[in-house]
Amino acid sequence: MSMPNARAYKKAAWIFLVIYLICILVPIAITVAWAFTDYWPWPSLFPLGFSTRGLAEIFNSYSPVGGILLQSIFIALAVSFLAVVIAALSARALVHHDFFGKELFRFTTILPFLIPVTVFAMGVQVAFIRMGLANTVVGVIIAHTIVALPYATVIITDVTAATGARLEEQARVLGADKLQTLAHVTVPSLLPGILSAASMSYILSFSQYFLTLLIGGGTVKTFAVVMFPFLASGDRTIASAYGLVFLGVTFIVFLLFESILKRLGMREHQSFFS
Amino acid sequence: MNRRLSSHVTPYLLILPAVLLTLLFVYGVANGILQGFGIIPYLGLTTPTLDYYRAAFTRSDLSLSILYTFYLALSSSVLATLGGVALSAAITRVNMGRKGQLMGIQIPLMTSHAIVALFIISLFSGSGLVARLLYAGGLIDSMQSFPTVLGATSGWGIILVYLWKEIPFVAFCTVTLMSHMGDRYAEAAACLGASPLRTFFSVTLPLCKRTIAKAFLIVFAFAFGAYEVPFLLGATLPKALPVLAYVEFQKPDLANHAYAMALCGIMAGICIIVAIVYFQIMRRERKRPL
Repeated sequence: MSMPNARAYKKAAWIFLVIYLICILVPIAITVAWAFTDYWPWPSLFPLGFSTRGLAEIFNSYSPVGGILLQSIFIALAVSFLAVVIAALSARALVHHDFFGKELFRFTTILPFLIPVTVFAMGVQVAFIRMGLANTVVGVIIAHTIVALPYATVIITDVTAATGARLEEQARVLGADKLQTLAHVTVPSLLPGILSAASMSYILSFSQYFLTLLIGGGTVKTFAVVMFPFLASGDRTIASAYGLVFLGVTFIVFLLFESILKRLGMREHQSFFS
Repeated sequence: MNRRLSSHVTPYLLILPAVLLTLLFVYGVANGILQGFGIIPYLGLTTPTLDYYRAAFTRSDLSLSILYTFYLALSSSVLATLGGVALSAAITRVNMGRKGQLMGIQIPLMTSHAIVALFIISLFSGSGLVARLLYAGGLIDSMQSFPTVLGATSGWGIILVYLWKEIPFVAFCTVTLMSHMGDRYAEAAACLGASPLRTFFSVTLPLCKRTIAKAFLIVFAFAFGAYEVPFLLGATLPKALPVLAYVEFQKPDLANHAYAMALCGIMAGICIIVAIVYFQIMRRERKRPL
């Protein structure tokens, strides 16, 4: 009785998704087109020439963008490693232990969601200068980790709660020691969440502009910081080339995370929130 | 070590690194807020004063800035939540597969807000593609007659950027839960004769309410406090609060610095009020039976 109705809803969902995907993909396509043209005058609907000037200027200019790109990737990987490890420890405490102050701790883990990063960045700058962390890669990594941690904690706490403690207990009963249990039971069962949290943290660090600018102070350059002034400039070819490189590099790293996920035999990411 | 003692200590050891980072975060925010009250110990200033807040509130453009920022954040987060829930529901219904989710959710998550601002400029500036299409269709006669997105006081470009980024984010937060709930409870409701729309609104949506509310809160606080997008696309007047604060922050004068921190205090205060409202609503919801 409800069959034709269900089919109609399915059709509506498809139409919605197709329109949505067009909205997502068209701007990216335009940016790719702009990155590879030098001549797209008003009111032409299509670019009137092919050029690699944008990419060439990014990589051949006096500023060493290749090195900056590597440094940004290093920072983002360090942030995702730290965020995941710290989040996994917190998640364990939250799911498997009862302790005094647990609810307060649970609340503080989401504090950076509630207070804007601009407030934190301007407030903490002086402290970072006095601790000798300002203008250093370590300082930037610490600041980024603070921002990425709530996302990682929420994701991994969900997976930890969904997995439960029973598998670990089984392993211990069967004679596995603590380290074996960790390596063969705990980490594998958390893997989908760990990789989801890692890629989220990576993206947050790699695209962080304001915080990096204030903590890095112009000494620690990341790709997001170098790219920013060009986005507002009039030269759309250069701006789009920067955008293209940003998207390309992030996508490659994401595929890397995905292939790790696939190799370990996990097909489905866990939910982000319970 | 005594086994009982160790099990008491373990949770604190586990949360130690997170606590240290949280303390640094709280210290940074508190430090900034105290500076807004004129307490800047490293300069020997320890007497609290309300001068900077007074200066902020007597400024003619402040209330306009607060309203403008609130309007941007609220419209972005409400629309993004509605869109994200709809997207999540659509994905659940058609089971679009891994590639579809990769394109529809992961790619927007990977794109930085600043790049999305560039997308919007390429599409909606005076010389952008939409203006060209309208010109080709004979609907406008020059690029000047297109209402450019850059610096538009209504902030529609800023809202578009947040929608492009946050609709997929809200869907990312809700889609797994929604599909599980769909499998478990919505099917039962459908078997009992409920229409898909009815099932969605009276079964699936209530079950996902808390997750949706959490995603909304994250998007709101982000859009309220982010600097990049309003800087790239915003109007000269009124300025969004984070942009206003950073303009003052960059000035060399100490008074401007404290003044910037007072603006930060106002920003943090508004976000905390919104968060308190959220927690109150959540508490009331928890007491109610499902």
